[in-house]
Amino acid sequence: MSRPFPYTYISCPCADTPVPDPARKRKSRESPQKSPQKPPPERANTDQGKKLSAKEEQRGEDEDEEQTFDPRSPRSNFSLYPPEQLLYCEECHQIKCPRCITEEIVSWYCPSCLFETPSSMVRSDGNRCGRNCFNCPVCTAPLAVSTIENATGNGPQQGPWVLSCGYCLWTTLDIGIKFDKPTNIRSQLQKMTDSTASGAFDRSRQASRTFGDLKHPLSSYASVDEQSNARERDEEQAGPKEDPAAPPMGPDARFAALKNFYRTQIAETSNSPNDQLSSEFGFSSPGALNRLMSLYTSSSRLSGLYGGSKKPKSKPPVMREALTASEGLQIAPEDEKDMIARLQSPECGWDGMASIDQRATQSPDARFVDDLLPLPVLLRTKRAKRCKSCKHILVKPETKPQSTRFRIRLIALSYIPLPTLRPLALSSSSALPAMAPTPDLNSLPPLRPIHVLLTLKNHMFDPVRITLATPPVTPGHVATKVTVLSPQFEIGANSDVWDEALQGGSAPLTSDSRSAVLRGVPEAGKVWDKGRNWTTVVLEVVPGTLPGSSAEGGDGNPDTETNDEDVLAVAASKQDGDVLEIPVFVHMDWDADAQLDQQNVGKGSKPDDKVTRELAYWMVLGVGRIQASL
Amino acid sequence: MASDTPSMGASKRTSATSGLRNSQTARPVSPHTPQPRARWLRAGFEGSSAPVCVVGFGPEDSRRAGDYRGWIQGSIGAARLPEPVDMEDWTRVYELWRPDSREVDLGLVEDKIERAFRETYNQFLLTDAGTSRLVLVLPSLMPHPLLSSLLSTLFSRWRFPSVTLLSSAAMSATAAGLRSALVVDLGWAEATATAIYEYREMTTKRTTRSMKHLMQEMGLLLTGLGSDGSQVTETADKISVGFAYCEEVVSRFAWCKSQTEEDTSSDEPDQKLSIPSPANPEDEYMDVPFSCLAEPVEKVLFAPGIAEHELDDEEKSLPLLVYNTLLSLYPDARGTCMSRIVFVGGGSRIPGLRQRVLKEVSLLIDRHGWSPIRGKALERQRQRLEELRLSAQKASNKPETPKSNGEEAPSTDDEPADPSKEVPEIDFVEQKLRRQNRDIPVPIQGVLREVESLGPWAGASLTTSLKIRGMVEIEREKFLQHGLAGATRDTDQPVPDRRSGLRSGGDRSSWTLAGWA
Repeated sequence: MSRPFPYTYISCPCADTPVPDPARKRKSRESPQKSPQKPPPERANTDQGKKLSAKEEQRGEDEDEEQTFDPRSPRSNFSLYPPEQLLYCEECHQIKCPRCITEEIVSWYCPSCLFETPSSMVRSDGNRCGRNCFNCPVCTAPLAVSTIENATGNGPQQGPWVLSCGYCLWTTLDIGIKFDKPTNIRSQLQKMTDSTASGAFDRSRQASRTFGDLKHPLSSYASVDEQSNARERDEEQAGPKEDPAAPPMGPDARFAALKNFYRTQIAETSNSPNDQLSSEFGFSSPGALNRLMSLYTSSSRLSGLYGGSKKPKSKPPVMREALTASEGLQIAPEDEKDMIARLQSPECGWDGMASIDQRATQSPDARFVDDLLPLPVLLRTKRAKRCKSCKHILVKPETKPQSTRFRIRLIALSYIPLPTLRPLALSSSSALPAMAPTPDLNSLPPLRPIHVLLTLKNHMFDPVRITLATPPVTPGHVATKVTVLSPQFEIGANSDVWDEALQGGSAPLTSDSRSAVLRGVPEAGKVWDKGRNWTTVVLEVVPGTLPGSSAEGGDGNPDTETNDEDVLAVAASKQDGDVLEIPVFVHMDWDADAQLDQQNVGKGSKPDDKVTRELAYWMVLGVGRIQASL
Repeated sequence: MASDTPSMGASKRTSATSGLRNSQTARPVSPHTPQPRARWLRAGFEGSSAPVCVVGFGPEDSRRAGDYRGWIQGSIGAARLPEPVDMEDWTRVYELWRPDSREVDLGLVEDKIERAFRETYNQFLLTDAGTSRLVLVLPSLMPHPLLSSLLSTLFSRWRFPSVTLLSSAAMSATAAGLRSALVVDLGWAEATATAIYEYREMTTKRTTRSMKHLMQEMGLLLTGLGSDGSQVTETADKISVGFAYCEEVVSRFAWCKSQTEEDTSSDEPDQKLSIPSPANPEDEYMDVPFSCLAEPVEKVLFAPGIAEHELDDEEKSLPLLVYNTLLSLYPDARGTCMSRIVFVGGGSRIPGLRQRVLKEVSLLIDRHGWSPIRGKALERQRQRLEELRLSAQKASNKPETPKSNGEEAPSTDDEPADPSKEVPEIDFVEQKLRRQNRDIPVPIQGVLREVESLGPWAGASLTTSLKIRGMVEIEREKFLQHGLAGATRDTDQPVPDRRSGLRSGGDRSSWTLAGWA
């Protein structure tokens, strides 16, 4: 469905082990943690089911999970990966997908200038490039620093600089921003964008400093009095009165103001009641005062003493709410007529409004295209990957951003056979097989059998025995019949290419393959073709009819709305309902050289230090699209 | 939740916010705070004013690895749909979860959460997942199965040492600098009004009139505009415009009239607005009267023309929701909350909406006062009392004393029986208190007032950066042992010390779900 036909996907076995819910687990705690290997589950498959030998890979999964893998289920989208994206853990002997690895960041770099960012700088730069790399806020293309050409000055590049987009011709002039220098644009921009809010910001910072940081009792009293007076004079006016003075703060400034406010409040209220005294009498250390007091008042009640003091306050001071704009309070505007008028105005229009995508990376207040600011390029990371269960390193890239090399990279294709699929030419006319028309995979006629060739290519240095199994009828609404003509076969080792030539043992194989091509008729139980390290088998596929195409006209309206999964499946299959995908269960086993640590364990060790390894997984073959009508 | 929506109107996010914190010592700045909601996940680091990223959940995000059709063909929702779709199905693929957990495939939700978090970390947060403390901002009402699968996914996939849950309503109030507030969250699946008093949730009322309905209504409107009314009848409730297209329209041009109908249509000639044609959004534009883009907002959120008693409890209009929530509070809490109304959620970005809600609420207050009693008998009785009072007033001819500082709402002309009417006498205790606390400014009370909030995400970021510990702090080992069932039922746990620095009672041996239990 997702790539050009034919394609193959591999389902990571981790999909079979659901996220353990500890609550559920608790109920079945009695059963031993390491359940013994289950007997091979019985396949419903009539033809090949019996041939499935033990599937130890599925150990530990519950009965209800032992179903045929359904490539149409919405969940399968999250476990299917193209074979080349998978990794393999040599310790666990298991395929690893992005879900079963953990990642560690090796280095941060800007994808645009390829400079590495030291880890200490990453966070302070907001995970974005701190140099001159910017993306266009409108179309996301990279922005270039260019000068405003004067008609006169074509001498050395001078004068104000702007960022301009080569794709959509947006420049920072559109939002009225020019730069004095062509370097260090990020900090220049920061200064400029802050400046609108900075007035309020600075003021608020200062204000809250007078409150908190200075801890001068008089100053805090004075300002509080001022406020309360103002408030008493006219409650309603307090908010608006400040507003014209300070333009509404930007979210950053407000956030900082709020943070300062809370910090001050916490400091003022936390050490009560000592705090009270300290702020009144100017004792810098409330603890000392408290000790002093308790010396004298050990017999009498502390509160009695306080009652006698000048300002009797048995209550600890309570944190109050923000009251002024400098503390981060912002009263909503009375009405938004201006904005609505601007929405309506012809110069705004559809393209004057920022789209959702554009706004996603901007300040939450941005609404019009004019509000958009150039975006520093988001940094990227190079990450080392470890197996989640055994912490074995699977991928380790070189640190340098410029280098594309890896120190360690265990990709799954070195361990599992690479599946490739191609349709078998329709040629029953034995003339020129190469010229014979292959079926058009984008419109497979329903109910007409086709043959597809599945080639598995082995990249290991050991020969591998493969068993394939498919459900006789594909799951889902379109019942396609599938038969693997020779489900059990062997793939040769990936030996040196010269071995083949030198040993001469390949002669029968090649002749066999030639004859196979000439034979042109797939036979059950026979391998179609075989090479040094690959084997091709034939699948016979009879595409089913699409629901609603001919016979089942009424099936279009979903009557299956009972549960979410069904509906989702229906919704998902709407666009790809005609795609023919075949789930195939692959079981492979091979005799590997025993590793040192396993020699003694030797569960299946053979006399010659060989260990039998097995691997089993589901694979999805995307064959093509089924035609709607016959 | 909060201002979460980058897209304004289309606040589809239901709500969960999460924040992560990095407790790694090596890195100076650390904690991050993701906030997952129904439609969007916002994530970032503690102490920053805005999330680093906002990640949506849509069909594009559920594609297989290696499936690049979203890039090749343009995203699914932009073009016109090949065939009309039922309203519910239309929105379903864009939701991470829906509030009714019977309809949710939890496994799928886990998959989506896992992928969203992984990609968020890899693309935006650029930090190692799982090394830091995580703070999740969630709506206070969250189905346990969902909560459980969210937590088990996070804990089993990564090695988060602990996850703290914060309530999105309280965080919104915090981000507005308030201790008490009425937080109106115009969310995706439902709109909620939560009264917060001194950081505690007093009541929550909810209505299904939400952004989801707004999107569906707008979808219907656009479908109608695009179809030339040819096959309107058969596809009555089907939508044939793309979701993403519709979301764009909502987020750009949904607006709200400041008044009901009549005058607006008369006073201005209908402005025409050119928007991409619903029939072919890619290359055609079409003129649409500007006022018609306000209709869905009006219809969905205000339910004009429907009498209050005809609405079910769960589908009250927004003004009624706000009014009823205030009504259910005690008078002092009500007075405090009504002058601290905070709008968050995607819907709060719709221009004019908040002002309209407040206006209608004040109309309601004028009409009914703070009395839940309605009906004809009441009217008759009121009139009788009115006459009585008139005659009594004539007799005594007492001038009305000025109201003390806003004890109550300005419920001017209704029930004379209402005690709020009779408070005018000056409370000397109040006065004495006030004289004593002259340095403490008098809080505004009893006036309808709206306060801007930075949104729950920013609130959580603020709270976390102040080293305030949440009530609900779920530690990894304990959760992995028992799951949600391990939480103590006892919600009256001692409140943890405000500063995480002073772990007063040592590690808490048991943990609670507090409000989420």
